[in-house]
Amino acid sequence: MSARRSGLTLAGCIAVVALLAQPACAGQQDEARSDPYAAYAAGDYDAAIRGLRALVRSNPAEARPRRTLVAALAEVGRYDEAEGAAKETDSAELANSLGEILVLRGQLDEAAVAFRRSVASRAADRNTARLNLALLDYGRGKVEAALDSFDTFIDLYNGSTRLEPKDLIAVAEAVRRLGVRDPQLFKDAVKALDEAIKEDRGIIDGRPAAYDARVHMGNLFLEKYNSTEAQPLFREVLEKNERHPEALLGMAIAKNFDGSAESMELIGRSLEVNPDNVAALVFRARLLLDLERPADAKKDIDKALSIDAGSLDALSARATMEFLAGNDAAFAMTRQQILAINPVYADLYNQVAELAVRQRRYAGSVELATQAVALDPRSWSGYGILGLNELRLGNVDKARADLEKSFAGDPYNPWIKNTLDLLDTFGEYRIVKTRRFELMLHGSEADLLAPWLGQLAEEAFDSLTKRYHYTPQTPVRIEVYPRHADFSVRTVGIAGLGALGVCFGNVLAIDSPAARERGDFNWGSTLWHELAHTMTLGVSSHRVPRWFTEGLSVLEERRARPGWGDDLTPDFIAAWKKGDILPFSRLNEGFVRPKYPQIVIFSYYEASLVSQMVEEQRGFDTILAMLEAYGEGKSDATVIQDVLGMKPDAFDKQFIDWVEKRFAKQIDAVVVEDEGLIGRALGAVRGGGDRNVGFAADLQRGAELVKDGKEAEARALLQRAREQFPEYVGPGNAYLQLAGIEERAGNLAAAVADLEALAAINENDYDANLAIAGLRERMNDARGAAAALERAIYISPYDKSLHERLADLSTKAGDRQGVVRARRALVALDPVDKADAFYQLALALFEAGDAAGARREVLNALEIAPNFERAQQLLLRLRSGRSDAGAAVPAQETGS
Amino acid sequence: MMRRCSRLLLAALVFVVPAAARAQDTRSRVLIVSGIGGEPRYRETFFEWGATMAKAAMQRWGVPRAAVTFLTEQPERAPSITSGRSTKEEVEKAFASIGASAGPADVVFILLIGHGSFQNNESRLSLPGPDLTADDFAKLVGSLGSRRVVLVNVASASGEFVKAVSGPNRIVITSTKSGMERNEARFGQFFVDAFAGDGADADKDGAVSMLEAFQYARRETLRQYESDKTILTEHAVIDDDGDGKGSSEITESATDGRLARSTFLGSGAVTAGAEAPPGASPALRALYEKKKDLEKRVSELRALKDTMDPERYQAELERLLVDLSLTNQEIRRMEGGAS
Repeated sequence: MSARRSGLTLAGCIAVVALLAQPACAGQQDEARSDPYAAYAAGDYDAAIRGLRALVRSNPAEARPRRTLVAALAEVGRYDEAEGAAKETDSAELANSLGEILVLRGQLDEAAVAFRRSVASRAADRNTARLNLALLDYGRGKVEAALDSFDTFIDLYNGSTRLEPKDLIAVAEAVRRLGVRDPQLFKDAVKALDEAIKEDRGIIDGRPAAYDARVHMGNLFLEKYNSTEAQPLFREVLEKNERHPEALLGMAIAKNFDGSAESMELIGRSLEVNPDNVAALVFRARLLLDLERPADAKKDIDKALSIDAGSLDALSARATMEFLAGNDAAFAMTRQQILAINPVYADLYNQVAELAVRQRRYAGSVELATQAVALDPRSWSGYGILGLNELRLGNVDKARADLEKSFAGDPYNPWIKNTLDLLDTFGEYRIVKTRRFELMLHGSEADLLAPWLGQLAEEAFDSLTKRYHYTPQTPVRIEVYPRHADFSVRTVGIAGLGALGVCFGNVLAIDSPAARERGDFNWGSTLWHELAHTMTLGVSSHRVPRWFTEGLSVLEERRARPGWGDDLTPDFIAAWKKGDILPFSRLNEGFVRPKYPQIVIFSYYEASLVSQMVEEQRGFDTILAMLEAYGEGKSDATVIQDVLGMKPDAFDKQFIDWVEKRFAKQIDAVVVEDEGLIGRALGAVRGGGDRNVGFAADLQRGAELVKDGKEAEARALLQRAREQFPEYVGPGNAYLQLAGIEERAGNLAAAVADLEALAAINENDYDANLAIAGLRERMNDARGAAAALERAIYISPYDKSLHERLADLSTKAGDRQGVVRARRALVALDPVDKADAFYQLALALFEAGDAAGARREVLNALEIAPNFERAQQLLLRLRSGRSDAGAAVPAQETGS
Repeated sequence: MMRRCSRLLLAALVFVVPAAARAQDTRSRVLIVSGIGGEPRYRETFFEWGATMAKAAMQRWGVPRAAVTFLTEQPERAPSITSGRSTKEEVEKAFASIGASAGPADVVFILLIGHGSFQNNESRLSLPGPDLTADDFAKLVGSLGSRRVVLVNVASASGEFVKAVSGPNRIVITSTKSGMERNEARFGQFFVDAFAGDGADADKDGAVSMLEAFQYARRETLRQYESDKTILTEHAVIDDDGDGKGSSEITESATDGRLARSTFLGSGAVTAGAEAPPGASPALRALYEKKKDLEKRVSELRALKDTMDPERYQAELERLLVDLSLTNQEIRRMEGGAS
């Protein structure tokens, strides 16, 4: 299936990049001082403008210096002066420049007049003016007329033996727009820009053509989802002119595309050069909205609209802000304003929909994208947003149809292609229904996982609905992916996502335990975590901020089972002491724009502590009240003020005090030095580490004493280490070492206590749980041993012997349903002796009172092995309705 | 308690009866060739596999010592079970001997263990002295005439043997699918285990067919690689339809696997279906006939599974299996066991 879908990649500038000149050298800097064109090229705008003014004064009839002056003034946001410079002459050669300035200020009618004059007068830049006229039509929704105009640029290109760089750029921009009709034309746009860069003279008036062409090409690559090819183009321009505002904007968008926090700094630099760049202001506003900082975003949007009141981009950003705040009336007014300018402006809805997705408003994004494609049937991104979010809502067939449409119109989109490829694999999955869930499980592990997953999901549903006073619409769909790349594509459309699970509301997706190495994660706690999101999203109408929903989910994990959910780590304390943990007021940044990889993990834990503090100090009703307040569209600051009666700064301080008091012991135990505590702790355990650093020294010394057989001395030191930092469960932790000492001393109960304390902190320690099971079996505690094995199953359920042990222990404990579940798992693990596995399952079902199930499974056994005597006897007993099937079979044969 | 004792006794009887009850005119001839090890670890492993197989054939599956030829690099290690050094000459002699002495209905089982190689389009097994190639083995197998031959090559790069040796009434099993899979193969260990251990009798008829052994070894090999988290570098195949193309997955409807399903080690090596014991009463004989008929019908039904309505299939299957269970119960009753 996937072979039919060969996605396109927009590429091809590699050969071009090498042609760029070297960075400015000392000679060039001298030249810049004396030559205003060189100054402009180097980004010395003040010198350039001074020099260009002088040139204009000395030769007022010449167009070139005046056009360059207008461009330079516009580039730094001095629009009044730029307009004045353009108007100083009556020459039609300046008409296009004037029109471009007027466009920047939103004076479109006047701009159109200027462009027409340029065309009519056959000015040198008339082709650019012609393009600008078509762009005006396009922006006003006269799409077909605009596309027809763009089409004439193909004739211009084909009918010319040699075009000027500015004409080549115009051709590129025109065919780029024509790409909505024929996506192959994007490649022709690259070709034209490539030629513009290679053009020998390489100058547009006084401007280096390579700059403009590169910025255009970079933007084109970004439009086609290719940040890798775009970045070198912007970088090359910035190496020559580090203040180039459009290149800085392009780079900021590219970095944002890659999820890098550098984006904000880059856009700041762009706005320093040109504080009135509407595109840059709008982009920064979107970043701020993404960070859930609407008040800051509003300032940029307002400023953008003060410069160009008709900017569709700025108005769309305002509409987004209003939509996210739940301000329906304002949203409707802005929408009306936008549609009055451009009645088919689908991107209004697409832009709002995209940000709505990032703030977990999936149903809202579907509604918006539906309106986008209704407005513009060629809105391929609209179909893409629609399809991806239909999928997030669990409407697979509708999603597929929309994604196919999107991909047909825009075959460059890797998210859509990956998602369609993933959908092609859905046939490998099975749907298993439980009372309130629809589990989508891969056929290879459905029988193994379904009993455990279904039972845990139902338990979590009961527990969480009671706590949150909220009942989600059922069935809740849980998709479980045995390949992490598939989970990642399902979640974000592309491989490489670090998360374990995702919640779209009533649809959850998680990694199956097969997706990762054993011990990497606990799929049970992951499921619980994601289902908790279903509650917090539901209670808050999907308006809960990221930090709060994550914090509550971690808190719910901890409430569900001992050991589940993130715990305190020495690394967190070290970061806390170094000031690397974000204050509460900026906690969202830890999730949305992480500045270093670990901060994501720290932010999860910190958010859980904030939630825990609120619950401990004010009760869970306060948590619910906060969720409801967020549901009303209130910001963090307002919620803290309204619900907690505090200023955010005071809340910040209260949280810091709470942490410092609660973890005073652990903070003392961690001495922060350059290499980091974990490094020292590991070094200490392995030998050669710093012996004088906190609990690590005790761990190291304890390990050495154990090695020397001095276990009594070791015990005292290890107990002290455990006391200093009880949450440390990393390599060489005190619990494991103490358990070993106790077991060797014959103190099985003490050994179990140590290991269970370890398992109650570390949710991923498979071996510790197996060891607990072994010790408890030795203590004749079948129930306790079974409980430990069940904990291990939530880490990794694939070990056959684990289920065999569990079946035996459940038999001993009289847990008949437990035996059935273990026997089902053994069948699902596809053993070589499958007939026997089916028979044992049949027997377990029979003993649990499920005669129909037993009959089905014994037939499965006999289908493989028709003369399997014990199975034949069970079948005959089942037919005769006798209830002594188990009694008829020797006890040692009923075991595995 | 009495009931339990009688069932244990019955279990022992059931184990013995199928082998004893099979057609008396079919026997196994076993030839095990364990090639050169090159280094102690391999020398030990290859010998161990060969010795285990020889012992299993004799002690577990009733193949007479005289019908087992075990050629190894170090025959002096266990003279009671070895037959000579695994040189080309000795191998050729062993084939000649079997060809001369085996009956036309006998099954010849050949197990090749060692280092395999594939160079210049020639696949070979490393032996002390000159090696034997796949074509050499094809000629040697050809010398056995129309007898049923099972050739199992568990060496690395053994896959090319399928093409060379494949033919009518021949079962060829290799540990790799081609000569390009040159890493150490683990399949042999599990193939030997299938006959020496208890896990391979998937259909619970008290015997291990060549197909059961292949499937057991293949699955356990996979499991081993998964457990070690290593990349699978051997893909075992079986060919018994004579087309020279090995199959890895065997389904009910596949053409490969049919011969192997009814070929066993030991006396009665061709057909595993239980026969009435000598001197059985006409009533008991009739029950055995009915049992054979029911087994055949179950097998035919299973082949139709994918084409049938699931409910109808299930009902028909249950009807046949109940009938078969009752028939077996009656056989046991008439033979004096508990029901």
